[in-house]
Amino acid sequence: MQSRLLKRSLIALLVTQSVALATVQPAAAALISTESALTLEQRQSRLAPLQQALARADVQAKLIEKGVDPQAAAARIANLSDAEIASIQQQIDQLPAGGDGLFAVLGIVFIVLLILDFVGATNVFRSV
Amino acid sequence: MSALRWRPLGALLLLWLAGCTQWSPPAGTAASPTLELSATPFFPQARYQCGPAALATLLVDAGVETTPDQLAPQVYLPQRAGSLQPELIAASRRAGRIPYRLDPHWSAIEAELAAGRPVLVLQNLGFSFWPRWHYAVVIGHDARHEGVILRSGTERRQRLPMRQFLYSWQQSDHWALVVLKPGELPANVDSTRYLAELAVWERQGRNTAALRGYLAAVERWPDQPTARLGAGNMLHARGDHAAAAQQYRALLRLRPEDPVALNNLADTLAQLGCRDQALTLIERGLRQPALAPAVRDTMVATRAEISARPATAAATECAAPAAP
Repeated sequence: MQSRLLKRSLIALLVTQSVALATVQPAAAALISTESALTLEQRQSRLAPLQQALARADVQAKLIEKGVDPQAAAARIANLSDAEIASIQQQIDQLPAGGDGLFAVLGIVFIVLLILDFVGATNVFRSV
Repeated sequence: MSALRWRPLGALLLLWLAGCTQWSPPAGTAASPTLELSATPFFPQARYQCGPAALATLLVDAGVETTPDQLAPQVYLPQRAGSLQPELIAASRRAGRIPYRLDPHWSAIEAELAAGRPVLVLQNLGFSFWPRWHYAVVIGHDARHEGVILRSGTERRQRLPMRQFLYSWQQSDHWALVVLKPGELPANVDSTRYLAELAVWERQGRNTAALRGYLAAVERWPDQPTARLGAGNMLHARGDHAAAAQQYRALLRLRPEDPVALNNLADTLAQLGCRDQALTLIERGLRQPALAPAVRDTMVATRAEISARPATAAATECAAPAAP
């Protein structure tokens, strides 16, 4: 009984959240609302470090080494949903901070592979 | 039924919930108050209903005609014998007053008092492990900041030693709220937080109030992009396209390739009959790399809409004054 209620309220929570997400998506109507713009800004600020990292030659070399096309990776990142970005953000937050340059590169490559895995482009992590 | 619905979230809500508790402070020493908003109305709370009483105090002070009884159905949860902060915020919006959460320092409360606004606070009058939550309204402090004066519960003028007040307030993460008339800015205003609140008003279709707020923000922060965007959107919504275009152009001067500004200005120019200029802008926006998919979709829709319109205005009317 309790778990059914819990399940129901979780579903309700998810539904209201997705409704909230739907309302901030710019609709077919022409004007973009301030709230949508703020959401977009947040999204861009989350994605910017990844996009900057992807532009670096050393990161690109590492990716190519792993058999990943950096341009395809950039396109994937631009098309991530907000929920996916939030989930990736969580994983990034769990990574140890700091480190030398080499660690930083490996960290970024790890994140990119994580993202590609997430969107189903590779299965590096799932096959392990 | 609604009691059942709440139960699973009970643990979560407990953090937010405020019942009402009477707390008799030790008799304070009578220091002469330097600041006391003694004209602040007083609504002695009914049992557990400190939320409606405290909110009514703020709203009536801000010129709204209301009573705790009128607010209770909006903010009071009988089964929890208390009110939640989000509901106080929502009820304030419904009453046409802009809720603004203060920075978590005493100095933020003091600045609001100095501006003549009473401040709603959430206190824990119990223990951290056994909280007794209570809403009260700060209306002043005494000369040496040794005491805080509140409208609290059934006490019209409660004086608490500063240290005791700060301790009870700190446990709610220093939750403190003021309500503003549309167009009013808080004393120590954080532009991001204030504009995010206006964006909610915009979504809820409270356009007139949102416009007043955005225009006040533009005046205070002429270089704040969000304020320009909001003002443009609200002017557009009421059909004042020429004024909206001005705001979007100001935004483009701040952020020359901002896709949102390009899209909204393009639509506005199309409304003004400047089809060619509108199409040029939208193409410029669509050329940008790494556009968010939702923005790209909207821009494509805007382009289709513009293309379907006739160009009616003369080219001279469409020339952008000093636009990039």
